[in-house]
Amino acid sequence: MKRRRSLYVHLSHIRLLAKKFALVILFLSAFALMLVNKTDTVIIEKTSTVATDVISPAIDVLVIPAKMIAKVYDYFRDLKQIHKDNVRLREENRKLNILYDRFKSLEIENKLLSDLLNYVTPEESEFITARVIAEEGDAFSHSMIAYTGDAPVKKGQVALSDKGVVGRVERVGNAYARIILITDINSKIPVMAEKTRIRGILSGDNTTMPRLIFIPLDADINVGDRIVTSGVAGVFPAGLPIGKVASVNKNEIRIKPFSSLEQLEYIKLVNYGLSGILGEDDETGQRP
Amino acid sequence: MSEDLDENITSLFQRMLPLLSSLFLLLLSYVPLDFSLLNNIRPVVGISCVYFWLLHRPDLFNLWSIYFYGMVDDIISASPFGSNILAMLVLYVLITNLSRFFNAKPFVVMWYGFAALALVTMLCRWLAVSVYYSQFLPLSMLFFSYMVTVAAYPLISLLLAFVQNNLIADDD
Repeated sequence: MKRRRSLYVHLSHIRLLAKKFALVILFLSAFALMLVNKTDTVIIEKTSTVATDVISPAIDVLVIPAKMIAKVYDYFRDLKQIHKDNVRLREENRKLNILYDRFKSLEIENKLLSDLLNYVTPEESEFITARVIAEEGDAFSHSMIAYTGDAPVKKGQVALSDKGVVGRVERVGNAYARIILITDINSKIPVMAEKTRIRGILSGDNTTMPRLIFIPLDADINVGDRIVTSGVAGVFPAGLPIGKVASVNKNEIRIKPFSSLEQLEYIKLVNYGLSGILGEDDETGQRP
Repeated sequence: MSEDLDENITSLFQRMLPLLSSLFLLLLSYVPLDFSLLNNIRPVVGISCVYFWLLHRPDLFNLWSIYFYGMVDDIISASPFGSNILAMLVLYVLITNLSRFFNAKPFVVMWYGFAALALVTMLCRWLAVSVYYSQFLPLSMLFFSYMVTVAAYPLISLLLAFVQNNLIADDD
């Protein structure tokens, strides 16, 4: 009897030790995963992409009922707005018709002048429209997962909304792609002020308004100035709208994106045929 | 024989319910919403679920479940891989050592406990990710995220309590 009890005590000691040991091992493995991730190895990226492909359909299933509830709420909320919107849209349409005529004449004029200068036109871009299935925007990261199906998507492609750039494709799985938003800490985009053509880098820092860095000290940038891509580095083409200057302080300039990054239902993933610094032979994020 | 098999499957399913319900809420927390405020500052569902189950059914939500749960969160999130696992392990250590102060107490005490432990957990993760990026992440976003997480805890615990009371059998 006594022997049996001592065996029990012994076993419970071993179990406690094993538990503590397991905890230490798991802590170390978490640190190790972060460390390996920091080195940006292909293995982690590929594993993570496959895992995202496995988990994403589960979120995709939940999106439909959530959207339906949101749609019913929107329907009742929007009823009031319909009349006002109708008047505003008619006016907008009238203005757009005038602009369209002007655009047509400018297009013809541009073609004639280009022919005269022997200008080589850039390649036509291709795009796909992808549905956003998961979003996150907290202190740790700003990203989204979009369903791309079997459409051809490549790492580094530009993600656009109807108002401008929202991010770039970071990882491509079999049917899902991860998009890093322009507000994410990993996002660095070469940009310029549309009016003054002053160049800089739009750097995300996980807040809702990214910073403009690497600009000359005496740069003439004011609140309200439009910021567009500069095309430097060859990943993004020049002239894509990003946002406008929201604040200019001594130490930093903040940009408010044109797109509501937190309310995107569909995004456009555009292939401008540019590989830039990402390189053509980057195997980690390509799907034929 | 067939009844035994049915019983075993039901028992296994019930033992997995804490993890499954937590995974369901976790996935739900990533679904895009049309409210801009909610999309930017969402409750950290993972921490709430781990806290609830470790207080109420630690026998069904063990260390390995927590590790797996953190890994799933890391896969969905774009934050550095391993940071969610780390945060949840920190929470595990905190709860296993301090649960005697909150367990079997009125809900308000458990809620205060959650507020305290969630703060420590989120700050640990913030520190780890800041070291990872070699720059401090915005504390304002973290603060609002923390407030929303604490405010949402009663609702999350209500859902999980429903699972615990109605779908999981007591071990007698």
